[in-house]
Amino acid sequence: VTNMSSQEDESAGGGSEPAEPSSSPSTEIGTTSGDIITVTIGATVPTGFEHTAAEEIKEKIGVDARISKDRGRVFFPITTDKLFQVHLLRSVDNLFVVVEEYHHYQFKESKEETLMELQQLASTLPWTNALEVWKQNGTLKKKKGHRRGGNTAKSKPNCEGVGGSMASTEQQELPQENSAPEGWAGDTQAMETSTQDSDETGHGSKLIKFRVTCNRAGDKHSFSSNEAARDFGGAVQEFFQWKADMTKFDIEVLLNIHNEEVVIGIALTEESLHRRNISHFGPTTLRSTLCYGMLRLCKPQASDIILDPMCGTGAIPLEGAIEFNHSFYVAGDNNDMAVNRTVNNICHIQKRRADKGSMSGLPIDTVQWDLCSLPIRTSSVDIIITDMPFGKRMGSRKKNWDLYPSCLREMARVCRPGSGKAVLLTQDKKCFSKAISRMGGLWRKQHTVWVNVGGLHAGVYLLKRTGSRSCTQPCHAANPSVFFGLM
Amino acid sequence: MKLLTHNMLTSHVKGVTKGYPLLIKATEVKVNEVEFNPQFVSRMIPKLEWSALVQAAEELGHRQDLPGELVADYETNEEFLKKVHRILLEVEVLEGCLQCPESGREFPISRGIPNMLLNEDEA
Repeated sequence: VTNMSSQEDESAGGGSEPAEPSSSPSTEIGTTSGDIITVTIGATVPTGFEHTAAEEIKEKIGVDARISKDRGRVFFPITTDKLFQVHLLRSVDNLFVVVEEYHHYQFKESKEETLMELQQLASTLPWTNALEVWKQNGTLKKKKGHRRGGNTAKSKPNCEGVGGSMASTEQQELPQENSAPEGWAGDTQAMETSTQDSDETGHGSKLIKFRVTCNRAGDKHSFSSNEAARDFGGAVQEFFQWKADMTKFDIEVLLNIHNEEVVIGIALTEESLHRRNISHFGPTTLRSTLCYGMLRLCKPQASDIILDPMCGTGAIPLEGAIEFNHSFYVAGDNNDMAVNRTVNNICHIQKRRADKGSMSGLPIDTVQWDLCSLPIRTSSVDIIITDMPFGKRMGSRKKNWDLYPSCLREMARVCRPGSGKAVLLTQDKKCFSKAISRMGGLWRKQHTVWVNVGGLHAGVYLLKRTGSRSCTQPCHAANPSVFFGLM
Repeated sequence: MKLLTHNMLTSHVKGVTKGYPLLIKATEVKVNEVEFNPQFVSRMIPKLEWSALVQAAEELGHRQDLPGELVADYETNEEFLKKVHRILLEVEVLEGCLQCPESGREFPISRGIPNMLLNEDEA
C-alpha cells in the first residue's frame, strides 16, 4: 500500500502517464518496456489504394502487408523497435495496434446474448502488448515534437473552405453501408476510480481516459454499433477502471466489425494524417494520402516535369514536391484564391522545414493560367496529374461536357508523346470516358483505381500519352457539339 | 517563379508565332537554398532550351559564368552542374513581369506567381 502523502501528482493536463490499474496483473502497463515485441498494426487507407499502401509498407518497413476484406484497411506486423517507421508512411490515414482479430466471429442468435458476449470478451483480450505499443507510441510522438494540432481544418482561422464539404470528407473513411461510427464514453456521471491505492512505482497516478469507437458493417448483425460500443465500452471501463471521456481521451479503443471479421485495436494516431501538408484549405482540398496514392501510380522519375493544371490549393503537387522530390512540379489554376492558397501552403511547409534546420526550398512553382490554353511549350511535360472538377462540388455537369474535351486536348499537346503519362481523378466517369474516346488516339487508358472522395464514387485514371502528334498551337475551347453531337 | 519554369513558359497570345522565350523584367529577385541533386540537374539539361536559360539568367544579372553553349561531358562535371542547379532552382523572380517577344504583351508576376491569363480579345 502506497503512502499517499509521498505521491507526486505529475498531471498537469495533457500528459498521458498511465495509471496502474489495481486489478488484474495482466493489464499492468510498462513492465515489458525492455523487450522487443511483435505486434500487428492496422492502417486505414483511401479505398482503392490498398495495394499502393502495401507497396509503400514493403518499401519502407520491409514487411508484407495483408489487405483486409474490409475495404480501406491493411494489416502488417512490426517489432516495437521499428515502431517509429509507421509514422513515415504517406499512404495511410490512420494507424492502430491490433489487440485481437477474429476472422470468423460467430455471433450469437439474439442481441442480448451477443452483447453479453462482447462484454465478457473485454476481460479476456490480450491487452498487454497493444497497450505497451500505445505507450511507446506516445513517447515517440513527444520526442518528435509532433505538431498535431497545427494542420487541421478545424483549428485554422483563415480557412475559408466550405465547412460542410470538409466535414463530409472526414466522414468518408467509414464503410458506406453503415452510419457514422459510434463512440462511447459511458455515463456523464463517470465512476470515481480508485487509482490512488494502486501505485507501485511512486509516480503520480494520472487517470487514464478512454473512449470506444465502433464501426460496424454487414446486414446480419442483431445489434447496432451504438449498442456494441456501449456494452463493450462498459466492460472495458469495468476491467481497467479507466475513466470514460468522449473528447479528451488518452486511449481510443477501436471495435471494428465487418460481417464476420472483428478487430479490436487501440488507435495510434490522434487525428487523421490525411491533411498533413495543407494549412490553407479550399472547398475541395484533396487528402494528402489520396494525393500520395495518385503520385505513386504515375511513378515519378528523376527530373520528370509534372504539371497540375487545376491545382486548387496545391495538395497534389505539394505532396509530390515533398515525397517525390527528384521531380519538378508546376502547379497552376485560373483562380486567384487558388494560386494564392497554393503559394501559402508551399510557404508554410518551407517555413516548417527551415525551422527544423533543413534546406527549405522545394522543387515546385505556381502559375496562374487557363488550362484550356496553357502557356507551356508543346511536348515539354512528362506527367500531368490533377483532380478534375466533379460537377457536384465544383463546376457543373454541363460545364464538364465542354471542359473535358478541351482540357484533355490541351493536356495532350503539352505532354511528351510516347513517354508522357497522366493521372486524372474524376467523378464524372461518363463524360471523361467519352471525351477520351473521341480524342483521336492521343491518350490510352492504362489502369483505373476506384476511390471514394467525400462520399462520392470517383475514378483515378492512369493514361499513357500515345506517340501521335497533336496540334502545336494551344487549342482553344472547341465547340462541344462537334464532340457529342446532339445533346 | 524559378527559371526552370520560365524555360517552359511561352506566350499564347492569338496570332503570335514567336512567343518564346518570354523576356523577364524583374523588380524583386530572391535566392533560396534548394538541396543539390546532380542526377536531377544532368537529366534535366537535355529537356531545356539552353540559350533561353542563359538569356534569362543574363536578364536577372545572375548569369555569372554560365557558358553560352553546353560543355561536353557535363554529366560528370559537378561544378558545372552546381551552377546550373542554382540558376534553375535557386534564383526566383518574386515581382516583375514577363513580356511576349512578339506582341509586347506583359504578364505580371506577383508573389512569385506569373499571371498568364489572357483577356477575351487576346485569346
